[in-house]
Amino acid sequence: MIDVLAITDAGVTVDPPVVAVPSDGVSVLCTPSNGDGVDADALWRHEELLEGLMKLRPLLPVRYGTRVPDEAAAAAAVAGRGAELMARLDHVRGAVEVSVRVRTAAPAPPTTAEHSGVEYLRARTAASRAGEGVHEVLEPLARDCRLLGGAEPLRAAYLVEHDDVDAFAARVRELQGEHPELAILCTGPWPPYSFSEAAS
Amino acid sequence: MTDKVLAAPSDLSPFAEDAPRLSDALTRRINADPESVERGLAQLVLTVVELLRQLMERQALRRIDGGSLSDDQVERLGRTFMELDRRMEELREQFGLTAEDLNLDLGPLGRLL
Amino acid sequence: MTAIARERDVALVDLVDRLLAGGVVIAGDITLAVADVELVHVSLRALVSSVSSLERPPQP
Repeated sequence: MIDVLAITDAGVTVDPPVVAVPSDGVSVLCTPSNGDGVDADALWRHEELLEGLMKLRPLLPVRYGTRVPDEAAAAAAVAGRGAELMARLDHVRGAVEVSVRVRTAAPAPPTTAEHSGVEYLRARTAASRAGEGVHEVLEPLARDCRLLGGAEPLRAAYLVEHDDVDAFAARVRELQGEHPELAILCTGPWPPYSFSEAAS
Repeated sequence: MTDKVLAAPSDLSPFAEDAPRLSDALTRRINADPESVERGLAQLVLTVVELLRQLMERQALRRIDGGSLSDDQVERLGRTFMELDRRMEELREQFGLTAEDLNLDLGPLGRLL
Repeated sequence: MTAIARERDVALVDLVDRLLAGGVVIAGDITLAVADVELVHVSLRALVSSVSSLERPPQP
């Protein structure tokens, strides 16, 4: 069995044990499956492998854990999607994914039981507005973005030019300074997981 | 590998609550009475598998709607999910869990499934 | 726990979110190794945000 790691441009050369399987105008990057269990270390090793590959070429990471019997199956899995994948590769070329999550900073002070529900909703609304405010500042700094939803005031992925990542992070730090009531976490650079499929 | 945190609050605790549990869960450091743990674990495990099954099914349906799959692929996907569904039922029966047992209540976040 | 280890754990949540809910989904004759027992021990709380993301269509 082989693990399917990512899609990249046609005609690339890679170092073993990774192989580049040509299919429909793109390359499918694969590596032999091993018996590794899934723990934090395995996930970080997988991530490190992708980041190494990403240094030299645009990548569309494939859903983690995708495994096929052989290279022919890897090629077949992508057949017919070449045009779509080439467009996605162009969309992410030269850029990386940056994650931003916003939560409220300190736990809310205790409220009286009879108003605690309203207080809770009020705090959630204020946090939600603050999250939107953060997104409004960051969105213009990125090539593309995805709002990933969830209970947090903001949980988003930004597609940022490789050379703009430091400036983006600096702007996040500025926003944090301006909003002590929020906790803003920015991580990356990641391979463009959230931009590998077109927004539906 | 580079440190992945680009910017963080000086107090990480609003984000740190999930992290150790996730890290521990991934490395399976679970200390508890084996029997009660087994059923609880089964519930957890099956819930996540059911979650993934629904995730995958939804993705597949989106792809099918988009028309980018051949009839053959659609048929094989359909059969895979039917099989997964059937296996899920077997596993639930094995542990004496109903479908509703897997629909964990997360309070203000609503039901999981 | 050292500050660096804590930061790495926090970043792990972002990594797992992406691994589980992102990336190209390929069809065909595939086995999803994520169904293996180890991964399904993953904390539900980390997954909740992945589930919620399905309920809202991604913004353009």
